[in-house]
Amino acid sequence: MRRLIYLLVRALRNMAQSPFLCSAAVGTVTVALLILAFFALVVLNVQQLTRHWSRDIQVVAYFDKVPSARRLDGVLSRLKGWPEVEGVRYVSPRQAYDRFFRRLGDDADLLAGLPRDFLPAALEIRLQPAARTSAGVAGLVERLRSSGDFSDLRYGQEWLEKFEAFLAVLRTAAVILGGFLLFAALFIVANTIKLTLYARRDELEVMALVGATPVFIKTPFLVEGALQGGIGGLLALAGGYGLFRLFLRQDLGALLLSTGLDRILFLPPTWQLVLVLTGTLLGFLGSLLSLRRLVRI
Amino acid sequence: MIQAFNLSKQYRKDSAALRDVTLKIAKGEFVYITGPSGAGKSTLLKLLYADERPTRGQILVDGQNLTRMNARRIAMVRRRLGVVFQDFKLINSRTVFENVAFPLEVQGKKRYEVSNRVYQVLKHVGIEHKMKRYPLELSGGEQQRVAIARALIIDPMILIADEPTGNLDPDNTREVMELFKGANARGTTVLIATHDRNMIERFPRRLLALDQGRLVEDRMP
Ligand SMILES: Nc1ncnc2c1ncn2[C@@H]1O[C@H](COP(=O)(O)OP(=O)(O)OP(=O)(O)O)[C@@H](O)[C@H]1O
Ligand SMILES: [Mg+2]
Repeated sequence: MRRLIYLLVRALRNMAQSPFLCSAAVGTVTVALLILAFFALVVLNVQQLTRHWSRDIQVVAYFDKVPSARRLDGVLSRLKGWPEVEGVRYVSPRQAYDRFFRRLGDDADLLAGLPRDFLPAALEIRLQPAARTSAGVAGLVERLRSSGDFSDLRYGQEWLEKFEAFLAVLRTAAVILGGFLLFAALFIVANTIKLTLYARRDELEVMALVGATPVFIKTPFLVEGALQGGIGGLLALAGGYGLFRLFLRQDLGALLLSTGLDRILFLPPTWQLVLVLTGTLLGFLGSLLSLRRLVRI
Repeated sequence: MIQAFNLSKQYRKDSAALRDVTLKIAKGEFVYITGPSGAGKSTLLKLLYADERPTRGQILVDGQNLTRMNARRIAMVRRRLGVVFQDFKLINSRTVFENVAFPLEVQGKKRYEVSNRVYQVLKHVGIEHKMKRYPLELSGGEQQRVAIARALIIDPMILIADEPTGNLDPDNTREVMELFKGANARGTTVLIATHDRNMIERFPRRLLALDQGRLVEDRMP
């Protein structure tokens, strides 16, 4: 324990002795993680948007003729037993007519002369959240078709496929860019710490000479790296939140809210923790890398 | 105390800094290592404090084979060696006191536990009045005495010096040699690499001569 405090004090003293290099390392981590946090924020909110939109995903199944009460009950209870189905609503021809009438508004006189039950009876089937994918829709449609109860099925699968492809691209871009950023940050941090090692090479040489163990020599630098990374992570989090409050919530909000989303989210606590831990790990690994090359003992 | 068998060191493939050196140094001996520039004196000492590893051969210090040691065990051996250089190798960002206390700090001792001992050693080398100064504020002779104090603080079983008087005037040289003789009188084995003929004549001791990496002479006074 005393040993631990001693090593920590040594790390802090090292940092105090080269404030410029120290802030360079912290700054690098901060910038890299800030960009990452921004991306995470975008991905998070687009995902939220998807979840929001996908509530509207439904399959409409049309009966060939108006079902009898018994047949309808049978179909309804069967469908409700399917795992991918969240809910089913029956729309009678009359209800369909009323809806259509309302939607036409001023043009409602177009319907004049038509019988009030000219629209087919239908079921509106909402999907469970997990099934709200193009594959889920395709599966449900297949099942409905093979049941033979319906004459026609309508679903927005094509739209869904496109949207899923877009999400996949976004996610891949985020991962690639994030990986690249992390790698660049790691490289810069490693080199910054190498500079601090270089600045104290006389001390390192003497340490090894008078019998300091490798652990004793390296630990303060590892602690220093981890601390710098952790501080960088915290700053990125604070900066990210600041930017979020200042700009994102309004600008990104204006963009996304127009699509029906009621609120833009900041990173949830686990993501925040991951961000800070990533910074810490980044600093630690950067130290480890530069130590491996410089201290030959 | 020190045994070397067929010791060879090649820094590069085509040239050898040390060739097939076999020697034995008993506990309590005082030995000079001499030879022209590039003969391999520093290399031999580096193998002894395990700063370099031999290309071939074995080297034993106090019965322990350095050639097969991991970094941690080498550190443990170094805690029993005192090493002094021509260029002092002090830590310039630390005071004289801190420099001399450093080997004990590295071993995990607290400052108050060691301050008495540090003061004694500083007094022994005659520099106690400057213990709060930084190395670059001292003369070369004073810096070398600080370096020797740092080597002596652990009561080393072997004192290794690589041209310790190379940068010093005759007066300082004599004082430094007195310190080495004193340590030797208290039982420390002393090894000094030098090409200062004057010094060897004034304090004649066992002499090992190297030439182009070979041990060409081993002479008692
Ligand atoms: N780190 C190294 N890399 C490559 N060659 C080296 C290295 N250190 C020493 N040498 C070579 O090994 C040979 C012996 O060098 P060494 O330093 O042991 O000589 P020395 O006897 O101490 O000389 P001097 O009296 O000038 O200090 C020299 O030819 C030198 O060029
Ligand atoms: Mg030399």
